[in-house]
Amino acid sequence: MSVCEIWGLTRDYGKGRGVFDLSFSINRGEVFGFLGPNGAGKTTTIRHLMGFLKPEKGYCTIGGMDCWKNRADIQRTLGYIPGEMVFFDDMTGVDFLSFMAKYRKTKSNSRTKELLDRFELDARSKLKKMSKGMKQKVGIVAAFMHDPEVLILDEPTSGLDPLMQSRFIELVLEEKARGKTILMSSHMFEEVERTCNRVAIIRNGKLVATDAVETLKAAQEKKYVVTLENEDAAAAFAGEGLRVSDVSQNQVTVIVQNNIKELISVMNRYPITDIITPNQSLEEIFMQYYGGGRS
Amino acid sequence: MINWTLYKRGVQGSLRMLIIFAAVITMYFTVIISMFDPALGSALDEFAKAMPELMAMVGMNPASAELVSFLEAYLYGFIMLVFPMIFSMLSANKLIARHVDRGSMTYLLAAPVKRQTVVFTQMKVMGTGIFVLVLYATLLGIVNCEISFPGELDIGKFILLNAGVLCLHLFIGGICFLCSCIFNDSKYAVGVGAGIPALGFILQMMANAGKELENVKYATFFTLFDSDGIIAGELGGVWGMLALFAGAIVLFSSAIVIFSKKDLHI
Repeated sequence: MSVCEIWGLTRDYGKGRGVFDLSFSINRGEVFGFLGPNGAGKTTTIRHLMGFLKPEKGYCTIGGMDCWKNRADIQRTLGYIPGEMVFFDDMTGVDFLSFMAKYRKTKSNSRTKELLDRFELDARSKLKKMSKGMKQKVGIVAAFMHDPEVLILDEPTSGLDPLMQSRFIELVLEEKARGKTILMSSHMFEEVERTCNRVAIIRNGKLVATDAVETLKAAQEKKYVVTLENEDAAAAFAGEGLRVSDVSQNQVTVIVQNNIKELISVMNRYPITDIITPNQSLEEIFMQYYGGGRS
Repeated sequence: MINWTLYKRGVQGSLRMLIIFAAVITMYFTVIISMFDPALGSALDEFAKAMPELMAMVGMNPASAELVSFLEAYLYGFIMLVFPMIFSMLSANKLIARHVDRGSMTYLLAAPVKRQTVVFTQMKVMGTGIFVLVLYATLLGIVNCEISFPGELDIGKFILLNAGVLCLHLFIGGICFLCSCIFNDSKYAVGVGAGIPALGFILQMMANAGKELENVKYATFFTLFDSDGIIAGELGGVWGMLALFAGAIVLFSSAIVIFSKKDLHI
């Protein structure tokens, strides 16, 4: 059953910016990854879901309610992490969280404490003096503290260190297990790989594809940069019939897709000194998969 | 229709500004009331005779020797117009446009609180500030006069005068607040929201200053606050007051409707 539905959503900002005829739906208990390069229209879509913008064409609903007309009702069971954390200037983190709880008329605050502990956040300092990571943690606590049914997370782990990123992933997985519905925009492959059921990619305001994460992973091409002892060895290594994308001095970049064993057996016969896998952004992987250019 | 948590925070946020404005008003009231001399005419009247144009420009020309006319002339032609007006300009921007401009409005709307409630609550915060300032001035004036010149002040007329100035400031507040709700950029919200009342005030000063510019008074809403008329008990003064009050209601209602319907890029 779909909890969140977007149908034919259009908002034209001119010059090709905006979102155009966007349609997808998210099922109950699903974590839905929302990906795309900067300026693709992710935040614009999220603003429509939050009821900040009125669709020019089409509609979006959450829990069967119209995101523009019933925005306040929808917010009752919705948690939101904005892409940019801007709070009120003069509050401490604790003040802000208790303000939000009262403002929302949330009853229990045991969950707030649990979340603060989980992210090792001491929220007693002034918000404007907090680091980006700390602010992000405050935003996370504010989004989860009223135990919402639906979560809209706009790059939720930006500014967090790897440990906290993995704590956040655990939190999302727990919420998923509890049947919560989550829309998450992200740049982190690990985050999406570990949490999402399905992924949608948006480019220039248009939906390029929606697919299961497994499909994406199976199709993923991985790059390995192999360092050999000398240039001669590198040249010979490159001539072994592997898919080589680049040779520079004694380094060879090999592209592997479901044939890692072949690479390993070839590597066994050469004087290898190092092997690294450069980080690939999710967009890059996705773009490879769908073969689209960047335009 | 009102969110008390937000209201409380708004009032707390205005407190420092209110104290500063109250302090300034206290200073002017104390100094000017002490200059009143029922027997001889005040020292200020000497100024008025020495430089009539300048004093007239800032509304300082007493109609009679009564204490209430004295206060009307020297406090309600400039001090009580300018300071609450500045308060409205700053307050209106802070309550809506700044939140939209910076993005902190996100948190106010990512909650089960209707936009109408948010904007109505912020309007109440501003209204409270204006009301408290005018109420403070009223009490300050009465107490000050009763101490220095017991029995001299026509308290009924003085209260009516303050009711008039309250209506004027609600109207000005309405302009500032409406602009704060229309514009997403703080700089436009302040530019237009503060610009219109400031222009109105300058036009009134021009109209006061010279006979040939007298007709300028029809171009500014400040004319509707006819302090001389109110003191003299003229019907026109009361109608002006009511017109300003009705205008304030229209302005604030439009602000609520506009903010509730507009697209927010937050």
